[in-house]
Amino acid sequence: MAKNEELQTDVKSVLEDPSATAVARIYADAFLDACGDNADDALEEFGSFLVDVLAANPDFDRLLTSGIINRDDKIKLINNVVAPVGSELFTSFLRVLARHDRLELLPVILGESRFRHEERSGRRRVQVRSAVALSESVQNQLQQQLSQRFGFEAILETSDDPELIGGLVIQVGDTVYDASLKTRISQLRDRLRQRSLHEIQSGRDRFSHPEGD
Amino acid sequence: MKFKADEIASVIQKEIEDFRGEMQTNEVGRVLEVGDGIARVYGLSAAMAGEMVEFSSGVRGQVFNLEENSVGVIILGDYKSIQEGDEVKTTGALLSVPVGDALLGRVVDALGNAIDGQGPITATETRPIEMMAPGIAGRQPVTQPLQTGIKCIDAMTPIGRGQRELIIGDRKTGKTAIAIDTILNQKGGDVICIYVASGQRDASVAGVIETLKEHGAMDYTIVVSASAAAPAPMQYIAPYAGAAIAEYFMYQGKHTLIVYDDLSKQAQAYRQLSLLMRRPPGREAYPGDVFYCHSRLLERSAKLSDELGGGSMTALPIIETMEGEVSAYIPTNVISITDGQIYLEPDLFFAGIRPAMNAGISVSRVGGNAQIKAMKSKKVAGGLRLILAAFRELEAFAQLGTELDKATQAQLDSGYRMVELLKQPQFKPLHVIDQVISIYAGSQGYFSAVAVNKVAETEQELLAFMRDEKSEVRDKLIAAGSLDDETEPALIAALDEFVARLEKTQEPAAV
Repeated sequence: MAKNEELQTDVKSVLEDPSATAVARIYADAFLDACGDNADDALEEFGSFLVDVLAANPDFDRLLTSGIINRDDKIKLINNVVAPVGSELFTSFLRVLARHDRLELLPVILGESRFRHEERSGRRRVQVRSAVALSESVQNQLQQQLSQRFGFEAILETSDDPELIGGLVIQVGDTVYDASLKTRISQLRDRLRQRSLHEIQSGRDRFSHPEGD
Repeated sequence: MKFKADEIASVIQKEIEDFRGEMQTNEVGRVLEVGDGIARVYGLSAAMAGEMVEFSSGVRGQVFNLEENSVGVIILGDYKSIQEGDEVKTTGALLSVPVGDALLGRVVDALGNAIDGQGPITATETRPIEMMAPGIAGRQPVTQPLQTGIKCIDAMTPIGRGQRELIIGDRKTGKTAIAIDTILNQKGGDVICIYVASGQRDASVAGVIETLKEHGAMDYTIVVSASAAAPAPMQYIAPYAGAAIAEYFMYQGKHTLIVYDDLSKQAQAYRQLSLLMRRPPGREAYPGDVFYCHSRLLERSAKLSDELGGGSMTALPIIETMEGEVSAYIPTNVISITDGQIYLEPDLFFAGIRPAMNAGISVSRVGGNAQIKAMKSKKVAGGLRLILAAFRELEAFAQLGTELDKATQAQLDSGYRMVELLKQPQFKPLHVIDQVISIYAGSQGYFSAVAVNKVAETEQELLAFMRDEKSEVRDKLIAAGSLDDETEPALIAALDEFVARLEKTQEPAAV
């Protein structure tokens, strides 16, 4: 179930449309503002709607996102199906989305809402890649250090990538802190190549044999 | 050549000992889509306009468009190696090219990589390709001549150091030839030449390089080539790269000449990029800032003030017109930016008048101050324009078949001789004093007894005569640089002697 949810809301692929994400971010902000202090409950309801209602009833999902059905009918559908069971706030939110023809953005909006909610409560996701899987204690230590350094509570998303050889690559937002052995080795390789080339080109006599070719 | 292995090993060992790995901090993004020479990237939220970025395949790019949700990047290299989803890193640096003496005699691409097969370039310095042009305080007026060695140009549209003189004309009218002759004429002088080929055929660029080598001009020349086969971004940045290389020398107080061959192809490359980046098209589908694209490039040409070392950068941009259409978008833009233009016409070219310069509409707005006194004299170049204008009028009149009185016929004949005299074969630049002697002799009627088709030949004889037998007169003229009370009578005496000899040699033939 959880895996299913992950797939729907957090589309980490290039197919992700940046302009759709930008629109979703606006709705997410509005949704969170409307929730006020009940954001956690509201997000849970939002998630459950996606997983338990839409994913479980693909036909209903298709009805809501289809272009053939007009807005008024969609709103009626929401009134009939969601209003009796859902909270007032969430139903209104769906109605707003329906009125603006943005229902197909629901999964993206949920993803963005979660992300923004974490950010608002001083938590941020940090991707950590390492050559070998990090132990619990190392993770805790890292988390503490990141919190001290950046002033927010870091949620670690760890993954291991043997290609790094050693060291860590930490990504916060768009910024990558690369302290992996792989990068260092390639730095050294570039430096060596450049330096040798420079030495050879600038002092050909020094490297050639006195007796000639 | 053999390398000493232990020497190299010690260099490497020292480098490894000194190596301290640093943590790399980069902004990253992901490639959303790749097109012909461009990519759209998601992320890179802190990227700056014009910043250099690096794709995971090692290819570099430059940030071109900053949009709300994505960044448009032009790819400087093989864009086929880049795939959707690739990681893109910012580098925090501007796009730069290597500069310095190490480049002299070399052929490089738009990024400063050697493409002449003579090994990598070991320049110690680099310079951003986009630099602000020197300001008002940093400049001084153009007063020093840049001799092209071409009679009609040095006489009628003189070029000064720091000037921007446009060479404009249809295809195959000798535009590049003028630029190459000018480079050849700098041999033995103090001018460093840079030839930028943007969107040219590789074969013609190879031909140019071959010519320069043959005439020993590569020693002081750098060729920057982004041929028609290079991706559009390379063709777009090549002129800026050339300007950066020239600027380095200029700020060292040296004199430079840069040829942009040609800016219409560069504008087309820029149009391609802009359209792919979805910038709104304007007139002829060029983007709105195509004017700025050229003006900021040509403004970098300057004659620096003495406080800045007094170096100069003379630009010879080339524009190719279609069917003589100078009122098209790009030609009018560049005409309005430059300090004059040399207009080449196919009709003249095919009539055998080469260089095919149309003297009537070619102008030089600042070069007149830079002409040497001898050339500026009324008897030499000063009156040349008027003579030619009067001749053109008469010629049109004479074509009607009217009978002409003797005086008119004589004027017409001297006009024909003058046109003949201004013809000049390719790769044969003349010293400015030789030009003065020729034009002086022509305008003062010393060739009036010579048949029109013999003028060129007689001119050669005259110049040989002056060089071999009257070298003291010629040397004095070179030293004085002007036709004064001392040099002019000496020149007249020498010319009289030459004419007398000419008559003597021709008489037996006439009998």
